[in-house]
Amino acid sequence: MKFLLKYSLLLLLAFSSLSFQQQQSFDPAAKVKAAFLYNFTKYFEWPDKMKSGNFIIQIIGTNTNLNQELNKMASSKQVGNQKLEIKTSTSIDASTQPHIIFLLSESSDMLKEINSKYKGKGSLVVTEKNGLAKAGSAINFVVMDNKQKFEYNKNNAVKAGLKTGDGLNSLAIVID
Amino acid sequence: MLSFSKSYHYLKSCICFLLIFVWHNQYAQTDLFFDAQRLCNEKKFDEALPIIEKIIIHPETKNDPASWHIRSFAYIQTFKQSLLSATDKIYLLDTAMYSALRSMKLDTAKAYIENNNSFIKNGASSYYKLSIILLQDSLNSVKSEQYYLNYKKYTSIFDPSFDFKQKDINYFNTTGSTFEDLYMRNNFNQKYGDIAKYALLKVLDIDSQNISANINLGILYYNQGATLMRMMDYDVDLAQLDVIQENAKKLFKQSLPFMIKVYQLDPKAEKALESLQGIYSALLDDEKANEFKQKKEALNKK
Repeated sequence: MKFLLKYSLLLLLAFSSLSFQQQQSFDPAAKVKAAFLYNFTKYFEWPDKMKSGNFIIQIIGTNTNLNQELNKMASSKQVGNQKLEIKTSTSIDASTQPHIIFLLSESSDMLKEINSKYKGKGSLVVTEKNGLAKAGSAINFVVMDNKQKFEYNKNNAVKAGLKTGDGLNSLAIVID
Repeated sequence: MLSFSKSYHYLKSCICFLLIFVWHNQYAQTDLFFDAQRLCNEKKFDEALPIIEKIIIHPETKNDPASWHIRSFAYIQTFKQSLLSATDKIYLLDTAMYSALRSMKLDTAKAYIENNNSFIKNGASSYYKLSIILLQDSLNSVKSEQYYLNYKKYTSIFDPSFDFKQKDINYFNTTGSTFEDLYMRNNFNQKYGDIAKYALLKVLDIDSQNISANINLGILYYNQGATLMRMMDYDVDLAQLDVIQENAKKLFKQSLPFMIKVYQLDPKAEKALESLQGIYSALLDDEKANEFKQKKEALNKK
């Protein structure tokens, strides 16, 4: 009887396909973007006035998986002595001076407005739509050969008020 | 020097002694056989076995199919008295099977054919049960397959025309899904993943359109790629991040043909639609991911 029960359970297992459930809540694309955003913090120097308090990453747009991943990252990492803080909104939050503004593709048309508001104030603007590194963002995520890559426009980073070397050039698709 | 009468007397005594010895020895063997049979009837197999071991090596009885037949019976009964999960007793079953085969070979008159076939059938069934039980012990997948092969070997003896195709599919699908489950429950331990992959690929060797094996292989490769990403630290340097992405991409791409196959075989398989959405999303192909997302939503609306 015991064997029959075990055997039936095994057969049931064999014919019911395993689900994505265990990994479904995990979004590989979100993890990669989170790792990129964290890495970018190593290549720029923010103005002195932004070296205290929390290190703020502002997401403009909706991406639940990315938001979850960034919050997970914020609970285990910090930038220098600064705690990571993740903020999300669908529009520009005038009360915040973020260190990184990540404009999701659905919010790309806000780039111009953001650049004029934060110009020279020390916010690294990151986008994810083709052509935006030329249109004003310092970093623009692109997909190449099924992998996440990024375009880098150093001039836009400098215009945003950030100091940076040439470290990112060898790792990025450089946009002049 | 011995006198003639003394020598004659001595010779006569020797002949008598030899005759008594030979008669007694022969009688003793018959006696032993009956003793063993009696003990088996009384289910005293522990006591019967040492006697049977004497019978099968004696020149008078070692080539008698009855000796090997009773040996097979006694060993199979002793094996049955032990717990089926006690795999350290497997030698009892092995011995029973060997003895039944030996008896069959010697049994030119086919006097024991029915019983020997029954022992072989019984043994084959025990090997199959053991092979399934061993799947639950992750360290014994190799032994499990070995017992499964024994099951096939002995089944072919009593039923030479038996078609093992469906049985093979069931066994390897069970192995694959069991170890895939272990892989996921044990923090994506690669060892379990590899065993699952080996078994599921065996199913596809037999039946390339097997939906269960295709789905499970698709999920396995996807999960291996996702695990690479999941294990990655956030501050991995950018060069290394590219390498991890490349390795994960290869696994996601390996997952794809299995899920596409399932989708082709059953375009309404929700699991395939959901999985394809996930795989394309991991490959950063939003257009394709959306296509399958919409197909899944359309299916759910119906």
